[in-house]
Amino acid sequence: MAYLTQPDYVKYICSCGQLKPITSLYFCRHCLKIRCGFCICHEVDSHYCANCLENMPSSEARLKKNRCSSCFDCPSCFHTLSTRATLAQPRQAAQDAAAGGDTKVENKQPKKMYYLSCFNCRWTSRDVGIPDQPVASGGWPERTNPFTTRMNQLLDYYKAIAQQEKQEKLERERKKFAIRGKYITLTDKTGLTGAMARNIAGLPSSDGGSSSAIANFVASQASEDVDELPEDIYTKEVNLKQITSMAQRLASPEWQPATVSRLHPLAKLLSVKRSQRCRACDHNLTKPEYNPGSIKFKIELLAYYHVPEVKVISFETIKPGEKSALLIKLTNPTGHEMQVRLLQPEDLPQPEEREEPKSIEKSLEKSLNLEKEPLPETVPDKPSGVRVPASSRVCPPSMTLSLPQRDDAAEYDDDAHHDTDDVILWRKSNKIALRLEVVTESTVASGVPANALLALEYSYRNTVPPPPTAGGTLAGTTPAPRDHTLYTTVLLDLGVVSG
Amino acid sequence: MELQDTYYNKSEYVETASGNKVSRQTVLCGSQNIILHGKVIVQSDAIIRGDLANVKTGRFCIISKGSVIRPPFKKFSKGVAFFPLQMGDHVFVGENTVVNAAVVGSYVYIGKNVVIGRRCVLKDCCMIEDNSVLPAETVVPSFARYSGSPARLITTLPEAMPDLMSEFTKSYYQHFLPTTVN
Amino acid sequence: MAHNNIKILPGATVCEDCTLEGDITIGGGTVIHPRVTIIAEGGPIIIAEYCIIEEYSTIIHKKSDKQENPPKPLFIGAHNVFEVGCRLEAPCGHIGESNVFECRSFVGVDIKIGSGCVIGAACHLTAPQTLIDNTVIWGSEHHIREALEKQPSQLLQLDFLSKVMPNYHRLRKPNVHKRQPSRQSQDSSPKP
Repeated sequence: MAYLTQPDYVKYICSCGQLKPITSLYFCRHCLKIRCGFCICHEVDSHYCANCLENMPSSEARLKKNRCSSCFDCPSCFHTLSTRATLAQPRQAAQDAAAGGDTKVENKQPKKMYYLSCFNCRWTSRDVGIPDQPVASGGWPERTNPFTTRMNQLLDYYKAIAQQEKQEKLERERKKFAIRGKYITLTDKTGLTGAMARNIAGLPSSDGGSSSAIANFVASQASEDVDELPEDIYTKEVNLKQITSMAQRLASPEWQPATVSRLHPLAKLLSVKRSQRCRACDHNLTKPEYNPGSIKFKIELLAYYHVPEVKVISFETIKPGEKSALLIKLTNPTGHEMQVRLLQPEDLPQPEEREEPKSIEKSLEKSLNLEKEPLPETVPDKPSGVRVPASSRVCPPSMTLSLPQRDDAAEYDDDAHHDTDDVILWRKSNKIALRLEVVTESTVASGVPANALLALEYSYRNTVPPPPTAGGTLAGTTPAPRDHTLYTTVLLDLGVVSG
Repeated sequence: MELQDTYYNKSEYVETASGNKVSRQTVLCGSQNIILHGKVIVQSDAIIRGDLANVKTGRFCIISKGSVIRPPFKKFSKGVAFFPLQMGDHVFVGENTVVNAAVVGSYVYIGKNVVIGRRCVLKDCCMIEDNSVLPAETVVPSFARYSGSPARLITTLPEAMPDLMSEFTKSYYQHFLPTTVN
Repeated sequence: MAHNNIKILPGATVCEDCTLEGDITIGGGTVIHPRVTIIAEGGPIIIAEYCIIEEYSTIIHKKSDKQENPPKPLFIGAHNVFEVGCRLEAPCGHIGESNVFECRSFVGVDIKIGSGCVIGAACHLTAPQTLIDNTVIWGSEHHIREALEKQPSQLLQLDFLSKVMPNYHRLRKPNVHKRQPSRQSQDSSPKP
């Protein structure tokens, strides 16, 4: 997304090894590491309806099955339904008029009635015979699930089992002071009960329940008797306009309407605002404002604001065994001057230590994103041992570039300073454009994707006060910002190698 | 890649004091009802229907070729009313796109050949992909990326979307240059 | 180019900034927005009363080989709405009443359209077919469903447009007078 509509020419290597454009990366100011969506915890901050932008507390959201109480989706095309008003003569009026009573006067006023209508497929709530409502929002008839009693039975049953297991575990723990494993088990966090796990594994369930809910529970029985198909099933002509599609049926799993006339409005699903948290240090990386309409963040530690951005301006076609020019732009997004040095990826120092494994346990508590799927674009090892198959090498200049801090007022200076330098094309405010050379080995076959790795060493000024240590910093003294030297590696996409 | 310079014929465009660049080949109906808040580019064959109701854009908006900006109407029990159309800052409207929205927030990217139905509300920071159709009265929440016909939410946008859009529209404006006569 | 014979009935609002070519009749109460293209190259086009034709819509009566002589007119019924950027290419045919051709829709040749139909935004109809009354087509997959009732009329919008548009646009003046329907066929005063 760094280029909005263009493909991502530049991808950064996250500390977890994923290749991501800078816009989908975060930067933890406490660990001083780049993080991505796969190595952080996602938390739900608040629930809201994307249509009416109404916030809903999470307890209420759970009660309402994560659906909005006033907005509906079209059961036919799933677009949001609109409320439309009509003027209707109250039904009684006609009778009263026949009676000729004095009620005639007050009933003359036509009443505003509302129905739901879809502007996409023109479905209306009148199509299926839902009566018009006298109020604009809400009041639509709620249908009850035909299997409510069974659902409640099942819920009670599983609740009882969960309760019982908890009790048992407590007792067991009291009995023997067993030290539990370092890792939290799957059953603890997923709500998958031991009974279910045993059931899946085909083991006999632990000794019978004591609760009445468990004792009285009857398991479902598959039945052999099914209704015969109607005689004319193969001969009756099918009117496709009357029959619902699979998507329409599955949108309301409780009823699964087979005909169009039984489609009912679907309550709109809620959206969530998310905040992100670093798994290693538990600090927030992003935290949006509570208001669903707001686009502001209370905390917004994005790589885009802390890591020097590399952009490809243009490049010459990559040919095997030849040198080609590459123009890139470096931007310093921070409010402090930044020293940047371009390096070869193998010149990077070894990272001091690997991420402490204890972070895994912590993160499991926070998110159920248990195993990271090995994605095709994963760099197998840490940046130190990066072995991305790169077709070409960038020849970095051996100088240190100094990038001034971001200055919003500088935008109005239009002139870029054109340097006579071989490497520096121009400088403008916090940006610098460089002309680099890319060397491609002659063994590279034509037609393969051309790419090159480039490592960056940059100075980063951390303005976050250090955590209070045992010695303790004197109260009242503002801790001096600390400067760090950080490294990152980017993969440049340079089209395809041409023969 | 960086945006390339787009050149326009100097005689075709009118540049106002506030930096708006408006092609002479546009149809601006009821121009007294159209407010472009500065550094707005309106390209050739675009239509802005200020005669139906007020149209207001923010700064750094780009109205591409052949697009139609049209205030939406709503029927009431007594007559119809055309609603004013408001557009925020840093909005990009692609080529041949029809915008019938009531509100378009800031930092919104609308692709080309898109139809935005009547009285849609596009919140700040959203993106409608090329060739999408947004049916009437759709509300597009912030950080949503919509695509298809009818358009549905396909993914979310990065948190840095405001900066990306403002950089995009600013650099588009900077790269939109008159042909230099040598 | 063939001779232009454009008949605008009283009460019609036709903007000057549009392309009208060939034998075209525009009924009373119809509103034609700017930048509309109506080309009657294969035969006359008759647009009935109270239609709305919005910007960048194109209506073409295409020439075809199997044309009868004299060519049959393309008749567009009353209360049709052609939204921004729609395109109708019927060689000859009949468009019923109260249809809505949504933005950027396309209706090709050999398509008969009943009344109260909605051709959804960006829908392309190219295969020969007949749309029965109250058909609604929508989405990229061209889903079809039948609406319960006809599309509501746009009389209120027409009322507003015919009041407001003269204040902002140069209009073509009606050149056919009511109460003289017999003269219509002979009236061939060309309009530039």
